[in-house]
Parts: sequence; C-alpha cells; structure tokens
Amino acid sequence: MSMDISGDLENTRCPEIIKILSLGKRTGRLFLSNGAENGDIFFRDGSVIHSQSGLLQGVKSIYELSIWTSGIYRFFVDEAPEMMTIDISIDDILAEIANRIRQMDKVTSLIPSSSTVYMLEPDLDEKEFTLKSVQWKIIVHINGKKSIAEIAQNIGIGISDAMKVFYTLIKLGILKEAGDLNADVSGTIAELPDTAFINSVKNDLVKAIGPIAPIIISETAKDMDIDLVSDDIGQKAALIETLSSRIPDENMSLMFLDTMTDWLKSEE
Amino acid sequence: MRGTIKDILHITGVQGYIIVTEKNIQIKLPSKHKLARAKDRIRRLYNDLADEKQRPGNVVEIYLKDMIVTVFMNKTTMLLVLSSQRVNLALLRMTGKLTLSNIVKEK
Repeated sequence: MSMDISGDLENTRCPEIIKILSLGKRTGRLFLSNGAENGDIFFRDGSVIHSQSGLLQGVKSIYELSIWTSGIYRFFVDEAPEMMTIDISIDDILAEIANRIRQMDKVTSLIPSSSTVYMLEPDLDEKEFTLKSVQWKIIVHINGKKSIAEIAQNIGIGISDAMKVFYTLIKLGILKEAGDLNADVSGTIAELPDTAFINSVKNDLVKAIGPIAPIIISETAKDMDIDLVSDDIGQKAALIETLSSRIPDENMSLMFLDTMTDWLKSEE
Repeated sequence: MRGTIKDILHITGVQGYIIVTEKNIQIKLPSKHKLARAKDRIRRLYNDLADEKQRPGNVVEIYLKDMIVTVFMNKTTMLLVLSSQRVNLALLRMTGKLTLSNIVKEK
C-alpha cells in the first residue's frame, strides 16, 4: 500500500481532487476523513467505480463526501474495491456535485452545522402541511436532543440530504433551534489544561476523531490516573498510547502515534 | 510516516531487535546477548503468535529477570525488541508499532 497524494480538505475540496485523479487516469483509493466520519472513493484508470461512507454507497456516498469542507484526504495507489457500485461518467458526477454544493450553500446560510439540534415549534400557527415520507421520518426523530447528523444516521440518509429536509421544515415554521452540541464540547475543551503538550494532543486527536477528542482525553487521563499537567514523560507516553488505541481508523491511529512520538522525542 | 529501526535503537535502554517472517529471522543483538543465538526459541514463539487475522498493533511484553522482550505482531511479521527494565515502555510500544507498520508496508 503506497500513498502519493494527501492534504487538507480546507485547501482542496473533494470535487477538485476527483478532477485531478480523473485527469491523471489514476487507479486506487481516495480516503477522506472529516474527523467524525470517514469515506472512500475508488478509481480505476481515472473513472470512479465505487464509493462508501458510513451506510451510504455508490454515487450518494460521493455526493455526501463532496460537500465536506474540513478534514484530510489521502490517495492510496492501486487499492481496489471489493465491489463496483458506480457506472456514471465523471462529467455527470461533477455536474451533480456542483448542483449539490450550490444547494448546500443555501442550506448552510440557515443551518450552521449538522451538529445543530432542533425541536418542534410549540407555537405553530394553525396551518395545513403536506409532508413527504422522508420529512415525516425526520420529524418523528426530532426531540430537542438529537443533532441533524444523528438523525440522518438513524434513518440511513446522507447528512446533506437531511440538512436539506431540515431547511424545508424550518422554512415551513415547523422547527426551531434547540441548541448546538458544540456548545457542550467547547465547555469540556476549557477544562483541559492549556499546556503545549495537551494542546498538541488535543489538536491531533481532533483531526483523528473529531470534536469529541477533548472529552476522550479527559476521560482517559481520569481512568489512568494521569495528571495532565505532569512533566513525567512516561505518563505522557502512556496517555498517547492509550489514546491512539481509541482511534478506530488504523491509518489515523498510526498518524497520531507518528506525530506524538516526534513530540515526545523532542521533549526527551 | 517515520518510525524506523534506527528510532527504536535510539530509545534509552534498548539492546537490540529481532525481525521474524515466515522464512527469515534477522537478529541484531550484541554477540554476547543471551538471545543472540536463540533462533529456535524465537521461531517457536513466532509459530505460536503469528496469525494473518491479527490486528496490527498487537503487543506482547515478556518480563524476564534482567530484561524485557517486547513483541510486536503485524500479520506474519514479528518484531522483538530487547531492552533493559528501565526503558520507557510506552515510548517503545509507540515507536515499535510505527516501525513494524512501515516494515510490513515496504515488504
């Protein structure tokens, strides 16, 4: 397994990477991660032949991955998929992606992120609504606690599709914002000591597992009875090693270990 | 990704290493080390631990009276690192996992 292209999605979005790999007639696996979720797009001689992200497969998965604006990507040369789910030209895929990105720009002007939590509007004016089945499926999950991303996962649709349904429901006046899960996370971030070591661990772990990272650091340190402000190199190494074992993706886990090993060596 | 044998050898307390595959045993230890000529014992250990289905990152630590043998497994490759008991074991485990992952990738 060799890796020859990698970078951040902040600088290069998925559609641009697809174009580059297509023009280069590349074969292999494009791995993408936004911290919380991972996805793969497989290429053969520049054509897209399969994609998977979470429960989504095929073009739906590509459309989902193409709207990610943060995270990392890596291209693994010559890796082949176990199945083929896509038989559409790159031009058609890119045209649909461009369309969806335009739609998502409109949606995100109203919904800040997929971690936003909504509740049913209690003061609904008496109106008649006609709901589509997917809108109803979402409404029955709305409880003022679940985020858009969680509801999308519960009913097995892409986050971007779920956000579009939420957009429509908000415009109808059925939903109102209940809060943002990020608020809880930022509260926990503040509890971690502000040291160079902890900041480095936190930043790299966020890249690997997303915004839940500070909570995981805090809980792991508590379980292992580790003092986060201690200068003991043994304690730091033990914490890093345990945290790396909590990263589900093997490549991300090794990358985390790699960065943090360098950090520890510079401390020695 | 870095993580090389050189990195392991730079860790204070490490005495040497052994790499075992299905066909080869490569021993890099001082000639007077008690495991420098223990090919048969190491092959038996490999036969007991090697398994295609094992997850990379599996680590076994064997504490002997005067040394620690840290065994890393990744598919059919085994890396043993021999060290004194005063080694930073967590750092050794982290570097060992990375190193073995790179060795397997290069095969």
